[in-house]
Amino acid sequence: MSEQTVTLAHGAGGRQTSELIEKVFKAHFSNPEFTADDAAVLPKIEGRLGFTTDGFIVSPWKFSGGNIGKLSICGTVNDLSCMGARPKYMTCAFVIEEGFPLSDLEEIAAAMEKTANEVGIKIVAGDTKVAGKGQVDGVFITTTGIGEIVEGADTSGKYARPGDAVIVTGDVGRHGCTILLARDTYGIESDVDSDCAPLWGTVESILSVTKDIHVIRDATRGGVGTVLYEIAEQSGVGIALDQAAIPVDERVKGVCGLLGLEPLYLACEGRLVIFAPDDKAQLIVEKLREGKYSTNAAVIGHVTEENKGRVILETEIGTQTILPQPKGELLPRIC
Amino acid sequence: MNEQMKKARDIITGYKGRPLRIMEVCGTHTHEIFRLGIRKLVPEGVEIISGPGCPVCVTAVGFIDEAVWLALEKGCTVCTFGDLIKVPGTEMSLAGARAKGADIRPVYSPLDAVELARSEPDRQVVFLAVGFETTTPSACLAAKTAKEEGLDNFSLLTANKTMPNAYNALVGSADAFIYPGHVNAITGNAVCQRLCDERGVSGVVAGFTASELMTALAVCIRGLEKGEPFFKNCYPRVVKDEGNPAAIRIMEEVMEPCDSEWRGLGLIPLSGMKLRAEYAGFDSRVKYSMPKITGKPNPACRCGDVLQGKCKPSDCKVFGKVCTPLHPVGACMVSDEGACSAYYQYSGLV
Amino acid sequence: MCVGLSAKVVSVKDKTALIDAGGAQRSISAGVLDDLEPGDYVMVHAGVAIAKITETDEEEAASVMEELL
Repeated sequence: MSEQTVTLAHGAGGRQTSELIEKVFKAHFSNPEFTADDAAVLPKIEGRLGFTTDGFIVSPWKFSGGNIGKLSICGTVNDLSCMGARPKYMTCAFVIEEGFPLSDLEEIAAAMEKTANEVGIKIVAGDTKVAGKGQVDGVFITTTGIGEIVEGADTSGKYARPGDAVIVTGDVGRHGCTILLARDTYGIESDVDSDCAPLWGTVESILSVTKDIHVIRDATRGGVGTVLYEIAEQSGVGIALDQAAIPVDERVKGVCGLLGLEPLYLACEGRLVIFAPDDKAQLIVEKLREGKYSTNAAVIGHVTEENKGRVILETEIGTQTILPQPKGELLPRIC
Repeated sequence: MNEQMKKARDIITGYKGRPLRIMEVCGTHTHEIFRLGIRKLVPEGVEIISGPGCPVCVTAVGFIDEAVWLALEKGCTVCTFGDLIKVPGTEMSLAGARAKGADIRPVYSPLDAVELARSEPDRQVVFLAVGFETTTPSACLAAKTAKEEGLDNFSLLTANKTMPNAYNALVGSADAFIYPGHVNAITGNAVCQRLCDERGVSGVVAGFTASELMTALAVCIRGLEKGEPFFKNCYPRVVKDEGNPAAIRIMEEVMEPCDSEWRGLGLIPLSGMKLRAEYAGFDSRVKYSMPKITGKPNPACRCGDVLQGKCKPSDCKVFGKVCTPLHPVGACMVSDEGACSAYYQYSGLV
Repeated sequence: MCVGLSAKVVSVKDKTALIDAGGAQRSISAGVLDDLEPGDYVMVHAGVAIAKITETDEEEAASVMEELL
């Protein structure tokens, strides 16, 4: 029997589209708010809202530790969480390549369901388009989410202050490393898996010990290094990192050693960078280490008045050097 | 920091003698010295300068143009070490060619490019063979494998370089050299020993970890204090006096010396390697009857002078204006440790 | 000029070695090193083992420094 695949007819809006929605999406996303109408009608939400959208393309669509479905939920959940917003509702739009196996689509939807349920966000509306063969790479997903900001939480990339501690919630660069290996461009094998995870629970736990948190940002594309430069710029401060304190998995170190890459610039999909007053840092790290997605959380540096807009590394020989600025594409080097 | 490192640091920071210029001639040393902040450690009067040891920085503009020609005019799949992708050519970099539809692929090893040619016989694969003695054996292994297997869709565009004649060109520009550990792992120490014995040129072979670099620097400073010419292998766990004879053999079997153009230093006689006549079928220039391509560097760019220490990056008109790490004009702005890039990122640092 | 990585040899077959660096494994050429055996440490550059080495740099620094002082 030939494998069932998505066809252009599935995207034409007729009976086959309904079938696809029934069979794949409704089966996984069903909840009282999931709409069959043109727009979902939501109950009233109290308080201030967080509202965000993100597009997901990842090749290959499936990798060790997750797939594009899980990623598309985590991305939006984590963006909301960074603003102290409890994720409430989301929508998702699929662009699927003609010929994409239905069983794979099913697997993606199942991962989305599981991840959304874990943090209690509801998928309330969706859209499906089918593009001709070669027009997209497998499947692209866009998710949009809305969340309710916890009373007292007030975070922004602008709020980093000299003296703040800089915390990461776990070892850096595992997602980027996993994808690099999954593409099999460089012939390297390792059992490293993506850190991809929904982090509302993580944020909720630290907000339960203190609301005095200045910045929370998820270190996705560009990794922790890029996030630090963004925040140094936005807040007009310097950041000094203790190189030895930055947690990096041995497997990631091995891959980076082979290819001459910097782990701080490899993407994460389940790591937050948190800026908080120094006297709260220990409390926050202890709380983080109790959580399943942040067992190796660590203070990696502090915010400085000087060196505005720069990220400085304190090295293993007690000197200071600058973290090279992010430059986009990661390329292996021999020199 | 362990005891050895502390001892090394004390020797380095405690130096109070005459001003010294110590030159490293290895891009990876430049990178590690930058990463470890070693320039902040050395006392005033000790200057660590970067010589022409980065294959990216010394690669002539015309070489990039040749690669772009193969990719765009001949439709070849161009495999390259990632380092070269952003280096500007006369018209465009390889990244620019890729945006125009060229098939440009970063690879980890030249042998991976051979594997690509083997698995896709309809594809014409070119590997950009740059680098010094450390890297050249890998390109020679690739050519040899391709010849043995009779692959007719694989070739090398060569710009391999060798150090001995570059050292000759550099004698006098520093009080001592930090020799590139991984080059000497292949070539052995004879050339460096001879420079010391015959011409009084001092130097140490260094490794790449914090401990290895600090040790080598400490040995170097002690040696200069004593005043006699010296040569010391500070990386014996990797570098043997005789080098790697099998690697030398394969280089001699597949390639032969040729004149080579260095960005900044110009043409240095017999400072390059090219494929021998028996391997002409694997030489991209022969295989594709390549016309003579002469690169035209941006006339405002002074990377050449910067590489020779004749001017500071900030003396260059385009520096920091049109030439930045995101939009490099010259090779020295491409990699983080390139002289211009480092200068740009450090400027104003407290 | 040359990024090198020290890695442990897992297995050797013909002129190809499987090496391990922190759990990252890759096949590389052993074409310019004879008599490699599993358990050896090598310096790897551009997919080729270029030298047989000792595991760490500690003893070396100690011996180089000793001569100096």
